[in-house]
Amino acid sequence: MSNAIELKNLCWKAGKSFALQDVSLVVPSGCIYGFLGPNGSGKTTTIRMFMGMMKPDSGSIRVLDRSVPEGMTEILARVGYVPERPHVYPALTVSEQIRWHRSFFSRWDDAWAAELMGRLHVDPDMKISRLSKGQTGKLLILLALAQRPELLVLDEPTDGLDPVVRRDVLTATLDYVSETGATVFISSHLVHELERICDWVGVMDHGHLVAQLPMNDFKNGIKRLRVTGAPAETADAPFHLLSRARDNGTGSTETWIVRDWEDTMRSYFAGVGAELRDVVDLDLEDGFVELLRSSRPASAREE
Amino acid sequence: MFRSVLYVHWKQVHLGLIPLMVAAFSLPLLSVQGLGGNGGVTSFNDTSLAIIQGLQVWLPFFSALAAASGVVIALSSWNWDHQLNHVYALSLPVPRWRYALMKMGAGAVLTLFPAVALWVGAHLAAASIVLPEGLHAYPNALAIRFLATILLTYAILFAMAAGTVRTTMWVTGTGILTLFILGLIGNDLLAGQFEVLRGTHILEWALAKLDWVPGPLEIFLGNWRLIDV
Repeated sequence: MSNAIELKNLCWKAGKSFALQDVSLVVPSGCIYGFLGPNGSGKTTTIRMFMGMMKPDSGSIRVLDRSVPEGMTEILARVGYVPERPHVYPALTVSEQIRWHRSFFSRWDDAWAAELMGRLHVDPDMKISRLSKGQTGKLLILLALAQRPELLVLDEPTDGLDPVVRRDVLTATLDYVSETGATVFISSHLVHELERICDWVGVMDHGHLVAQLPMNDFKNGIKRLRVTGAPAETADAPFHLLSRARDNGTGSTETWIVRDWEDTMRSYFAGVGAELRDVVDLDLEDGFVELLRSSRPASAREE
Repeated sequence: MFRSVLYVHWKQVHLGLIPLMVAAFSLPLLSVQGLGGNGGVTSFNDTSLAIIQGLQVWLPFFSALAAASGVVIALSSWNWDHQLNHVYALSLPVPRWRYALMKMGAGAVLTLFPAVALWVGAHLAAASIVLPEGLHAYPNALAIRFLATILLTYAILFAMAAGTVRTTMWVTGTGILTLFILGLIGNDLLAGQFEVLRGTHILEWALAKLDWVPGPLEIFLGNWRLIDV
């Protein structure tokens, strides 16, 4: 399977406050890739790098089998992009904006655009400056979808939208993907939203790619364990211990958050003289929070 | 694609440009109000002088109006893109140079609008006045000069406005500082080195080169008379 996006050892520094550090990321073709991370973690910067809007200090980028920035014009013709902040011209009407956008994209599909306009209830005569946030969000997704892209890059597309609009936007996107098999790269800090739709997930924090794995592994592999008589040393554990904390008022019982867990690993505890009392599935949000917590240095965690 | 760029530029600029077009149309008509001879005069007489002197007061308005048109068109070229941090422009599948070229071309087409308005106004003005012998109306020449001045202003400001505000400030500031240093210090230094420069003030020389024939800014100060000998 080829990859829609490949980032290798991407580095970029903005003053002293922020840097992308050695970000290597692979988005398989045809998947829906959720790009998670708290605000300011570097999600938008990473997107702008592979959209050719910013130049990395080092590293290489390939999108749709073309190098960035050399093949950027060809790449952009095949990419539908919804940026973090609306980028449409406020003094135009919706239909004027659509005409403007259409003139740049040879694969633009008028019939599909008209259908989307009806489905998303976008008024073509409305001036963009008068659109609500939700209507603007719908227009942006309409513009991105109607150009029939092979890759959709959505940077927080539903941030600040009400649940109804959010569902409309995601449904339109998923319908398009199921029809065409396009790849979707969607960044968000709304973890639950991605949980339902993504099959791959990457987690950014402080300019690092903390984890990148199939959604199933992410959801099933991160567990909360309750362990009694836990050993102090866990270097030989078959799983990855993200965090451990002693439970209040329960003597020697501890709560562990682990990654890469499989049920066959239960025997490990008997081998080290401990007792595994409970294994609890974490939902994506808890897993996400634990992953971030474990990836941060102790000083940052105390903050 | 170019038509779209042109249309969007028009949408950006029309509120500023329409009043300038009205002014460009009216200015030649206003400038000849109350002027004009009785016809049939055979020599260059007081009436002719009165007409030329009467037009004199209007001359600065023509170049000012042309400059204003150029400024408005140039600044509007990049206005929306600057507001959106160029995110939209950079996400379009068109090379940056081509996008800039289309923007520049669209602006250049828009410079025709006030020029044509002035051309029509100038022709009407010329038709409304009976000129004494020896005087002629030059509506075409005036309109061409007007267009050239708009284009010059537009080209300079388009290039400056293409950068960020910070870049524009840097370029302008560096230019002014360079002239200042040349004027204050460089003159003595260079004059000490090169005999040919003695007695020449570099700053004055540079400014003179800019606005006198055949300087690039000469067009602002040239002959703006609709009616002349």
